Amino acid sequence: MSDFLGLLTSNSLTRVVFFPALACLPLLFFKNEAERQIKLFALSASFIQLAITLVLVVGGLSGGGFETLRDVGADGKPLSWIARYGVTFDLRMDGISMPLVLLTSFLLPIILLGSWRGIERNWKGYAISMFLLTTGILGALLAFDLFLFYIFWEVMLVPMYLLIGIWGGERRVYAAVKFFLYTMAGSLLMLLGIVWMAWTYQSLSGEWSFSYFALMELQLPASQQAWLFGAFALAFAIKVPLFPFHTWLPDAHVEAPTGGSVVLAGVLLKLGTYGLLRFALPFFPHAADRFAPILITLSLIGIIYGALVAWVQEDFKKLVAYSSVAHLGFVVLGLVAFDLLAWQGSLIQMVNHGLSTGALFLLVGMLYDRRHTKKFADFGGLAKVMPWFAFFLAFSALASVGLPGLNGFVGEFLILVGAYKAGLVFPTMVAAFGVVLAAIYLLKALHESLWGPITKDENRELEDLSLREILTLTPLCILMLAIGVAPQAFLEPSEADLDRVLSTYEARLAGPAVTKPSLDRVMMADEAPAIPDLVPAVPDLVELEPGL
Amino acid sequence: MSDLYIIPGGDLAALLPELILCGTGVLVLLLDAFMPNSKRLLPPLAAIGTLIAGWFLAATAPSGASFGGLLESSLLTVAIGCVVLVSTLLAILASASYLRRENLGGGEYFALLLWCATGVLLMSRATELITLFVALELLSICLYSLAGYHRRLSVATEAAIKYFLLGAFVSSFVLYGIALLYGEAGTTRISEIGPYLTSGDVSPLAALGLLLLICGFAFKMSLAPFHAWAPDAYQGAPSPFVVFLSVAPKAASAVVLVRLLALVMPGGDAGWADLIALLAVLSMAVGNLVALAQRDIKRMLAYSGIAHMGYLLVPMVTLSPGSYEPLVVYLLAYALMNAGAFTVVSLLYSEPGEQHLISELSGWGYRFPLLGVCLTICMLSLGGIPPTLGFIGKYMIFVQAIDTGHLALALVIVATSLLGVFYYLRVVYTLYMRPEVREPSGLVIDLSGRIAVVLAAFGTLILGTVPGPLLDWVKGLGSGY
Repeated sequence: MSDFLGLLTSNSLTRVVFFPALACLPLLFFKNEAERQIKLFALSASFIQLAITLVLVVGGLSGGGFETLRDVGADGKPLSWIARYGVTFDLRMDGISMPLVLLTSFLLPIILLGSWRGIERNWKGYAISMFLLTTGILGALLAFDLFLFYIFWEVMLVPMYLLIGIWGGERRVYAAVKFFLYTMAGSLLMLLGIVWMAWTYQSLSGEWSFSYFALMELQLPASQQAWLFGAFALAFAIKVPLFPFHTWLPDAHVEAPTGGSVVLAGVLLKLGTYGLLRFALPFFPHAADRFAPILITLSLIGIIYGALVAWVQEDFKKLVAYSSVAHLGFVVLGLVAFDLLAWQGSLIQMVNHGLSTGALFLLVGMLYDRRHTKKFADFGGLAKVMPWFAFFLAFSALASVGLPGLNGFVGEFLILVGAYKAGLVFPTMVAAFGVVLAAIYLLKALHESLWGPITKDENRELEDLSLREILTLTPLCILMLAIGVAPQAFLEPSEADLDRVLSTYEARLAGPAVTKPSLDRVMMADEAPAIPDLVPAVPDLVELEPGL
Repeated sequence: MSDLYIIPGGDLAALLPELILCGTGVLVLLLDAFMPNSKRLLPPLAAIGTLIAGWFLAATAPSGASFGGLLESSLLTVAIGCVVLVSTLLAILASASYLRRENLGGGEYFALLLWCATGVLLMSRATELITLFVALELLSICLYSLAGYHRRLSVATEAAIKYFLLGAFVSSFVLYGIALLYGEAGTTRISEIGPYLTSGDVSPLAALGLLLLICGFAFKMSLAPFHAWAPDAYQGAPSPFVVFLSVAPKAASAVVLVRLLALVMPGGDAGWADLIALLAVLSMAVGNLVALAQRDIKRMLAYSGIAHMGYLLVPMVTLSPGSYEPLVVYLLAYALMNAGAFTVVSLLYSEPGEQHLISELSGWGYRFPLLGVCLTICMLSLGGIPPTLGFIGKYMIFVQAIDTGHLALALVIVATSLLGVFYYLRVVYTLYMRPEVREPSGLVIDLSGRIAVVLAAFGTLILGTVPGPLLDWVKGLGSGY
């Protein structure tokens, strides 16, 4: 306990995770009517959160790479949480989780600013839900103990449910319940899988552990891997969401308030792809390898189907929601290509999607605040009355399309190159076609809302973006541009860690097949040191040279 | 040889918690009879008596067999006793405002409740069939009278009569089962009956006797298909009393069931395990499916209770030394979250008549922030969502199911829990996502009621967040049944 408090008060991951939850306590003492004070307090707390995250991340940056940060107690080990089952409070931040953690903390003040006007009642409850949600997301991103991961994973559910259900649109209750049940269905099976793995580990080694590294030692026969991979992948595929588990997403997005949509698209969905990358793929390499064609097919269907459905939407928010399905299809495609470039692309694309889709949702929200409609038919010619709005919308849409020079291009390009390199020629072609479709539907959205003559009289007097709104959007756009022009700086910190996971995956895949569960302690030590490069990267070139 | 049997002091000491409960009950009754102005003192007195009994229970080391082997005291009975006393205490705290609001007496209510708790404790400790039956009757008679305690209400009378008729019927089952077992084995000591049920040629009459006993206690645990009484009884009975009714008798019955199953496991016919598995699956399915259709919160909680007892049976399907841990933790979780839910119901529905519609709570999460948050926590815990004790309990059941090779049952839990989440969430969204439909009138929300709700809800939350000490304590129970 004292160790925990010690961590909480020092520059640690624990503090980053729990600061938002602690910020809720003073909020409880504000009067409901003191809306302005509540907003200001929440906003300052969110800036403090961003600051402590930045301090921590900067501390981990060394050279071009990122040094894994971990929280330990006085004895140098992770804190014990439930000794009976060997559950530890093991938080670590490596190059894979770092960009997503940063994105989460970065989006928090933006979300609060973006909700300034849109949320009209019970701001206190809204801020509390948002902070608790942030704690859940950060915890799930940083947990290296699967029990802990599951707890945080579930903790995300309730605040998001409340965000959609209380502050959402007309069919909010339906959307909220659907969101909850879908996620719960996947995660209960995953819980069973986690318990099963820990139990197997316990029966082999004699002691309970849910540690990522301990469970990584498990060598499971292919049939068991298949079931477990199914349980994990289902939970993550629902979260991503991968076709055909995506049906909750458009409902949730359309009904959620702007801030809810931003956090949902920005980081919540990434937990699905992050989970695949961190857990499902390296834990069950044989099953992942076997089911990769299915995942590839589903992600391609997602890319094409999401784009086609987005194309025909009459509602702006729905269009953006379906574009998420398509974009995340890219991310999954990159992951199952099992290629370092593709993985780098996927990781950066997770961030990109958070930025550009986040910005699009904010913009749609700003439009909704003014006109109380999201239908394309009600807009047209807005560029004439709202030039700032038009600029930001066009900028974000182009980033989302993948215009070179902006961030979307980097991610999609790397994914396509990586997938092609990994031999997925046909899928790469299909996905590339998806990029064209993305251009079609997003340009259509721009066309119908911004350009052309003003057809509705209500639109003639629309106010342009206020200073607050511009300040909300600017940081997002700056980052989009920065990633676009200097991608290397953003790719470098995670390269080593992605490579480590990938080589672990490949080494485990190449390892001997087992017929019953066993432990292999050589594969990964507890400290996650730099894994000796088991798959040499150079030989190919060496062989080629004589021919040249 | 003297005709006078002098009870050894050690045996009396072993019975101290029950004696204190019983004595407090008598004291409360007398105080009410001779000092009519002391009504306000009764609930605190009953609560203090329960606390003292609990202190003696928890603080003294289990003494093993007493009264010549009629009763036993083990770590398991102590743990279950603690769960029972927690629910008794919460029921007492929740009752005060209800009795005042409904203008009902007081003394006999608390006395019956305490005697009921005495019966429950005895039942969980009985290792001899006649003692078991006497404890069961002590418990049941008090339960019947309390179920119909709101005598001006026709639903209450109906509930009591239904519960009584079915209960009496089941008592005869139990008695008949005891008679059959005695006829075959020539003894009523549970531990000595085992060989007649497991050896080479099992006596069919003894097996029938055991079956009848299992049915009897399945009835008390409201397992499907013996569950029909529960929704009616809960609906008509005073809500704060349901805090007790829905937990304590079930906890003790679960212990009795474990004791009976230990006779035939391991080594007995595999049919017994199948029977328990069947009861578990039926209860999970029926409880959750029917709860889905309920509009009345008390009936919904009754059906959800049936489902929870189904979950609880899963670790018992194959008894192993590890079976106790999920049993105790889950019962504690259930005691707390159920107590929280029923106390809120008792505080927020002023007319304990026909119906307690969930929709009447619409929007009240804002009007009663504390009660709303507590009810939400209890609902999430009932749904098994972390970080609550309900989740820890469900997790331990999963562990035990996998450990004993019942993965299929774990999958049934997964599927049915999902249904559960649906109807528990309905309460949450009614509280926060619907406009109000009624003005509060005639509510009495007193301090002790609030204390009960906060203890229950934050208990589940805190124990769910920091479960370490609880699980370490429970781990010690693991040996020997």
